[in-house]
Amino acid sequence: MSDLDRGRGWRRWLDSRYQITPLIEFLRHKEVPKGPHSMFWYYLGGTTMFFFVVQILTGVLLLMYYQPGEATAYESIRYLTTKVPFGWLMRSIHCWSAHLMIISLVAHMFSTMMLKAYRPPRELTWVTGYILFALTLGFGFSGYLLPWNKLAFFATSVGTDLVKSVPLVGNWMLQVLRGGPDVTANTLYRFFGLHVVILPLAFVALIGVHLLFVQRQGMAPPLGAKVAPRGMKFFPSFALRDLLLWLFCFMVLLVLAVFLPYGPGIPGMDWELGEKADPLAPAFPGIKPEWYFLWEYQLLKEFPPHLFGLEGPQLCLLVVTVLLGIWAIIPWLDRQARRDQPSPGFSDFGWGAILFLTFLTLKAWDIGASGPATSPASLKAISWICAWWTIAAGVVIVGVRFWVHHHRWFFFTGAALLHVVLHGLLGLSYLVAGAIAAILAVGVVTACIFRDRRRQANAGGSR
Amino acid sequence: MAGNTSNQKSTRRGFFDFLLGASSVAWLGSLLYPVIRYLKPLDRAGAIGPTRLTKEELAKLEKERFVIVPVSGRRVLVLQNAAQEVLAVDAKCTHEGCTVQFLPAESAIWCACHNARFDLDGRVLSGPPPRPLPKYAAERQEDGGILIVAERRQSE
Repeated sequence: MSDLDRGRGWRRWLDSRYQITPLIEFLRHKEVPKGPHSMFWYYLGGTTMFFFVVQILTGVLLLMYYQPGEATAYESIRYLTTKVPFGWLMRSIHCWSAHLMIISLVAHMFSTMMLKAYRPPRELTWVTGYILFALTLGFGFSGYLLPWNKLAFFATSVGTDLVKSVPLVGNWMLQVLRGGPDVTANTLYRFFGLHVVILPLAFVALIGVHLLFVQRQGMAPPLGAKVAPRGMKFFPSFALRDLLLWLFCFMVLLVLAVFLPYGPGIPGMDWELGEKADPLAPAFPGIKPEWYFLWEYQLLKEFPPHLFGLEGPQLCLLVVTVLLGIWAIIPWLDRQARRDQPSPGFSDFGWGAILFLTFLTLKAWDIGASGPATSPASLKAISWICAWWTIAAGVVIVGVRFWVHHHRWFFFTGAALLHVVLHGLLGLSYLVAGAIAAILAVGVVTACIFRDRRRQANAGGSR
Repeated sequence: MAGNTSNQKSTRRGFFDFLLGASSVAWLGSLLYPVIRYLKPLDRAGAIGPTRLTKEELAKLEKERFVIVPVSGRRVLVLQNAAQEVLAVDAKCTHEGCTVQFLPAESAIWCACHNARFDLDGRVLSGPPPRPLPKYAAERQEDGGILIVAERRQSE
């Protein structure tokens, strides 16, 4: 009797045809590194994927009633939520799961960043994850237009208009995206195709690559540990924990979807259907994009009409592109983590980014506004209150990092907080305050790099 | 002698590689060109030229002091100022393309999306828009109707 004929029934049947034993052996020996660090961060990719599966399933269900088109899109969603049994529930789950997926994804990305899991040999896992994040935002943006209500119409008008700021091909891209010079039913058809066919295909393919990388290389061990001290068996120990967490996520999702079917009522996290889109109606006061685009929305407001020979939106797009570009190539920039050494500067860069986004998001929410948030006095009050909230968050973050994690590197968080103080408390314009903070941060960091280089050179010379 | 033949061989191979590469690029280009042309929609066909406001639009103008109407494929904001004059400007904000509105109380044009203000001739008063709103000709005719002329600009 040969090796392959062992086992019982279906297992032997499959094995004699497809040689599945090596695969089972591989899965049996698969381990997750376990050390003194928290294991929690290893589960966030899984929860993101769980919410994505929920999106696919509920999306397919919504497709059975949704009809794109000028005269049918809004009406079919209204019919779905008011007449179809449990139609409101399916839409509510789809919306909640979308937001939870983005929350989970943001947490996954920042934890990867802070733990330096992007360091070699996992650079491409970071890059594929980065593209998956961009696709997820594309899902959010394209899905937003489909109900064809007022809010969706203006959010899409503003969001797509930014494309025209791209040099040379901007106008062409804008027309291709919208199916014409303005947002019309043609835009709806294109976004529908994007949302239900193009993005899902790209997303599934890329998840495959992302997971393949994780399978081949395993999860990143903690920084500095050449070999993980111990491992947790993936089957059944890790997989069961995964499953338990997904069950918990599912429960949270259902409770939220049932009790808050139109969202928590926070601007930017609200999917009340409202009125049908009317291209000839003016934009209404208090219009805001979804919460994960609020920082960008606010940044657009902070730019003056013209600066350095460019139009405000163009310069804003340039700044955002540079920042996102830096974020994409972090695995190659972080040379200390490449050598498996701690890189406190990059942890601090991540925290600085969080404070930067927090301040913009709070401002976009008009927190601290008394009355309509349009007068200069009220805008000043918003900056003032939001600055204090951001400073409070910054103090907590710095405190925890200093005393609990013994971090001693705070130039980027310092610059982000200086920016907040100069703008919110001292009244400098957002961009001037930002330029001062950025120049200071870059100057200090460059000085540090040169000092370290010289020190290394001296140490090398004396040896 | 032997070196010479291998050299010849390699240039011949290089030549064919170049030929293969160039024709592959040309082939891809001929595939992509129709797709790229397909993606960009045709210019919208529709009524172009001076447009008279309909009865409903006139009623809305009377009631709300402004109305947004389609003229020559663009959205035009028609408003009535304090002196009862009729003015027309492009309704598409030059910042990020939201639709603006007239605030009669402040005698200003306002965009709700990023809090931009314009005067009634479309000039930027405050906020982030980089350019003024294009102004159009609006004239009240003898029968009380209103005629809007929004010329299609060359650069668009």
